[in-house]
Amino acid sequence: MPRVVSAYVRGVTAVNHLLFKACSLLVLVIVPVMLYAVVARYGFNTPSDWGLELATLLFGPYFLLGGPYLLHIGGHVNLDLVRQAASPRLNRTFDLINYPVIAAFAAILLYYAWPFAMQAYELGETSYTSWNPIIWPVKFVIPAALVLLFLQAVAEWFRLLFNDLTPPAGEGVEEGL
Amino acid sequence: MSSTGILILMFAGLTVFLLTGLPVAFVLGGLSVLFTVLFWDQSALIILVLQIFDTMRSEALLAIPLYIFMAVILQKSGIIEDLYRAMELWFGRIRGGLAIGTVVICVVMAAMTGVVGAAVTAMGILALPEMMRRGYDARLATGTICASGTLGILIPPSILTIVYSVTAQVSIGKMLIAGIVPGILLASLYIAYIVIISWLRPELVPNVSDVPRASMRDKLLSLRTLVLPTLIIVMVLGSIFFGIATPTEAAAVGVFGAALAAATRRHLTWTTLSESAMVTLKATAMILWITIGAKAYVAIFTGLGGADALLGTIQSLEVSPYLVLAVMMLILVFLGTVLDEIGIILLTVPVFLPVVRFLGFDEIWFGVLYALTIQMGYISPPFGYTLFYIKSTLPKDVGMGLVYRGILPFFLLQVVGLLICVAFPQIATFLPALMSN
Repeated sequence: MPRVVSAYVRGVTAVNHLLFKACSLLVLVIVPVMLYAVVARYGFNTPSDWGLELATLLFGPYFLLGGPYLLHIGGHVNLDLVRQAASPRLNRTFDLINYPVIAAFAAILLYYAWPFAMQAYELGETSYTSWNPIIWPVKFVIPAALVLLFLQAVAEWFRLLFNDLTPPAGEGVEEGL
Repeated sequence: MSSTGILILMFAGLTVFLLTGLPVAFVLGGLSVLFTVLFWDQSALIILVLQIFDTMRSEALLAIPLYIFMAVILQKSGIIEDLYRAMELWFGRIRGGLAIGTVVICVVMAAMTGVVGAAVTAMGILALPEMMRRGYDARLATGTICASGTLGILIPPSILTIVYSVTAQVSIGKMLIAGIVPGILLASLYIAYIVIISWLRPELVPNVSDVPRASMRDKLLSLRTLVLPTLIIVMVLGSIFFGIATPTEAAAVGVFGAALAAATRRHLTWTTLSESAMVTLKATAMILWITIGAKAYVAIFTGLGGADALLGTIQSLEVSPYLVLAVMMLILVFLGTVLDEIGIILLTVPVFLPVVRFLGFDEIWFGVLYALTIQMGYISPPFGYTLFYIKSTLPKDVGMGLVYRGILPFFLLQVVGLLICVAFPQIATFLPALMSN
């Protein structure tokens, strides 16, 4: 594949891989924060106003930003009824059509998600709870995840187009569930 | 284009793209978004973005990564191996004992984690070789493992039950508790079958008289391994049942318990934690991206009047509610053989639940029937999940054909369990009714 395209594919995949690793560690923040909230509430009867809210605020970025890299390692489940029977050539054709559908999904939603986040930013929107943190950074995660998904879908499409068959580097991500 | 026309076109599109292997999340999300922009009200997409934001902040769905994380840590903690050894000591000298013990361990694992793959893989690695070595029939051994492994779907905590509750908008706590009795009922059916078949057809199980007798002291000592699992189960389920904590808070406590179990066995290392975290995110992101896709699909389906049309049709049919119920169950079992179970719930619950409410059935009870049919989907060939898990653990001389035949009696037992729960809804509803709100 042309050098520019190859650099693009490697760059996008590396960014998404890094984000996936970083996001996966968020669960190590969420659990202690929730434990603190539980102990404060039931143990000391002094409910924390931020514990549970912080945990739920981290949850969105956690799974949304983990999504684009899943595309690279084939982690989004699909139906392989036909695929197992079809020839590699036919499957390649399928995928050449399928990745643009994913890119379209990301692009269309992005068109509506961007103003949604911008508006929250301009208003300096907060969560209106007792802790009341600013909420727009979380809202910007939606367009960010969609952009990254779009870029990864394009990258996967290029890989297919130029027959780059290097298996995804899914180090540390084992099957098992 | 008429709304019916759009819906038909969309269903055709869904089928085609599903078959080409486009991931379920993007089949649902991609086509729905595309159709909304092309043929329908674009303001629906603004609402969809709002729904995504609600999903991001859902305390209920936050339980999903926490229970998965707990399961993965427990799987790596070595606790299952210890449990298995204790089971061998206690059940080794009973006729068909190892098979019975496998069911029992799967119940304990189901109550700790509820991740089907973990149970089937663990039993495939630990119990299967031992049963084969002692001369158990391969069909009985693999059938037992596959069927018992799926008990995690019914016995709380269960990821699928949480997804059902959130989609159906019923109380997660009640829905989780509702699965306990039906789960134990199924396990009892499995055990009864194993006991009966080993007396009727003694050639299926080995003679146990030459198995060395374990000393009472060893047996009692082996029970130490039950202490932590029992504590975890009591903490998680107890706090949900008595309304002390939300299922999500209980999950966080469960993770702590699992980490403790791993630490006492010196398995709590940074590698374990970071690997577990990655497996957790992989499963979580998969589930929640499907959730987003399904929300887009449901928006256009109900928005175009698909749900109303279906309800109208059923009203005009004037057939017995139980016939409608039976048809819904058959659709679920069929879908279960070809489609991912999370996808099935997200696709069918928004369609089925208005019908269930209209027919006057209890939503919690219906949720239990859902879980039961999903269990069947998990073990039925050719695309049951457990089959893939057990396949990787099979010895060379055991083919998948044997596994299929081994599963058949257990599949029939699941049908029996389903029928019992249909006939006696109290089995599912009486425990949740006892819970404080």
